[in-house]
Amino acid sequence: MKELIEELKVKIIEALNLEEVRPEDIDENASLFGDGLGLDSIDALELIVMMERNYGIKLKDPAQGKEIFKSITVMADYIQKNRTK
Amino acid sequence: MRIKKWLSFSPDSLSLNGETLGVVGGGVEMLHELYRRKVGDYPKFFKMDMLGKLGFVASELLLQSEDAPRFVPREDRSVVFCNRSASLVADRRYQETISDADNYYPSPALFVYTLPNIVTGEIAIRNKYYGETSFVVLEKFDPEQIAMHVAAAFQDPVCQSQLVGWTECSDESHWQCLMLLVEREGELDRHGLAATLERMFTSL
Repeated sequence: MKELIEELKVKIIEALNLEEVRPEDIDENASLFGDGLGLDSIDALELIVMMERNYGIKLKDPAQGKEIFKSITVMADYIQKNRTK
Repeated sequence: MRIKKWLSFSPDSLSLNGETLGVVGGGVEMLHELYRRKVGDYPKFFKMDMLGKLGFVASELLLQSEDAPRFVPREDRSVVFCNRSASLVADRRYQETISDADNYYPSPALFVYTLPNIVTGEIAIRNKYYGETSFVVLEKFDPEQIAMHVAAAFQDPVCQSQLVGWTECSDESHWQCLMLLVEREGELDRHGLAATLERMFTSL
């Protein structure tokens, strides 16, 4: 799980062009949206694409993202349980 | 009309109000370096496409040189940009995400930039400008046409000044940028503005 969390931090920085953020700057339990990393709705869509591309997870309802993208830890937990690649 | 401030910017030179500024690196890295050195407080910059980064950096340099408070909501300033290649750089990058049927992952973050007028919106949001924003795609640099669009925007009596730009980029290493802050009151008529634009463009 720890390894997946670290991998996710790198992939999120890359996918969302968070140029000035380093993996160690990201608190895996902090909110990704709002006060945390300050991501927006386009970033949420990009995370959905990233999950499909890297882990073979296709969200049927984009609204699920609200729960899954609460934090890196929550996201990693969801990926671990649902990944197909 | 009067040109209050002006900037000309190509991969080889950057000039602000007639004074040459130093640039480091090449291509999009030059824009990143300028952002870090002269702006630095708008992380969304890194999410922008090439056109957005070019327009954003140029507008920041120009507006920093204006002796006026920044980020105060105002309705009396418009943003009028033109170019030839529209959002071609972003269009190509987006196309790459959908061209392979076995690797078909359309990027939402790239897709939002496949409209050239996103750059005028980005600048208006950043500066809290609530006047008109428009982006006109022309066949080529045409100073008379640009001046006509500027004059048209001044038909609105609320509009007192405009950020006017020619922001052309055909790829990440080639761009031409002229940006001007034009005020309503002044000695220039439409043709005078066009002649000035022509001179500036020739020296780009």
